[in-house]
Amino acid sequence: MSGDAANLALPLSRLSTGACEATTLYRELRKPLLRYLVCLGLSSDEAQDVVQDAFLSLHRHLASGGPQENIKGWLFRVAHNQARNRQNRYDRNFSAPGDPELNSVSHDATPERAVLEKEKYRQLGKAILLLSTSERECLLLRATGLRYREIGEVLGIATSTVSDTVDRAIKKLAEKCNV
Amino acid sequence: MCDFSGKLIAWMDRELPEEEAAAVERHLEACSECRIEVDAFKRVSGEFDAYCDEPMTSNVRQGDPRWVPVVSAVGAVAAVVALFFVWPSTPFQPPAFQPSKAVVVSVSAADTTEGLPARVRPIQKIHRRQVVTPVQIHNTIVAAVQNQDAYVPANEPMIQIAIPADEMFPPGAVPEGIHFAADLTIAADGSAERLRLSPRLAVFERRTTLP
Repeated sequence: MSGDAANLALPLSRLSTGACEATTLYRELRKPLLRYLVCLGLSSDEAQDVVQDAFLSLHRHLASGGPQENIKGWLFRVAHNQARNRQNRYDRNFSAPGDPELNSVSHDATPERAVLEKEKYRQLGKAILLLSTSERECLLLRATGLRYREIGEVLGIATSTVSDTVDRAIKKLAEKCNV
Repeated sequence: MCDFSGKLIAWMDRELPEEEAAAVERHLEACSECRIEVDAFKRVSGEFDAYCDEPMTSNVRQGDPRWVPVVSAVGAVAAVVALFFVWPSTPFQPPAFQPSKAVVVSVSAADTTEGLPARVRPIQKIHRRQVVTPVQIHNTIVAAVQNQDAYVPANEPMIQIAIPADEMFPPGAVPEGIHFAADLTIAADGSAERLRLSPRLAVFERRTTLP
């Protein structure tokens, strides 16, 4: 048996390469995906369910020999579509940005600075509410580090449209927040 | 408004072609108005990112009342006490087999009838500290194992034995979240004829939703 085990070590490392790749992707992309989904308005539990489902789909996709280019964009698209299917809670976070005191102000800030930061946070929340859905989605996907081309693939729009949308959204935010 | 104003954010995001990016950079050296705009865009961009991070830190257990942990702790203590009183009346049960990082060995029943060959028995000796239990294996895995093996007829009953992967491989050799389906064929003279391992990914198994 010990001889068999020694012989098995070589094919094992070769066979598990694909699985390792998927595991690496999981470690790398789980957090950005969660962040995006939570910002879209899903609860922490819902977001984790969607992420799990998305990676299960990825596993099936890779196992069935699906194309491996731009896996990151592929994953975000799957997660995005699943989040859209839970549309009833989709806009919750941005329609109710929550209490600005939560974690948004650093603990060592002076009272005046804390008030200013809270006010700025409140203004930003209001400005984000005024953005269109596609503007918000573009900015959220951009915040996770996706390129314009990848954002276009996730949302099903042209890269040039993503560029225009991001440009417009950032300018709106800068104007509303008086930055 | 400057002509380059429409390209500043794309330049900031490194999304412009090289020539256009170089033109924007040359322009920025000369135009203070655009430099101020770029600074403002970078700032608001950073603030948006920070705003997105906030739900990640505050969303977890935001709605739980403060007494929930106390009640949970009391419940846990009660459960332990109850277990203490109930334990002696129940016969000892072996610990449940952990499915992650395990090897499932499928052996043809025809080859493992009476007189299991001596050369195969060391498998049991090696794992004498572990409880070997039948494993309910997913149908697709069984099908895959059967399809891979031309020596075992598909309709023949199989015996499935679970062996922890840690017993077969040195620590760290098996990546986290991987388990294996192993297919063992035993020849007529009792020797192990073929052993094939197929890695399976356990890390993406559906998470049990908490209440």
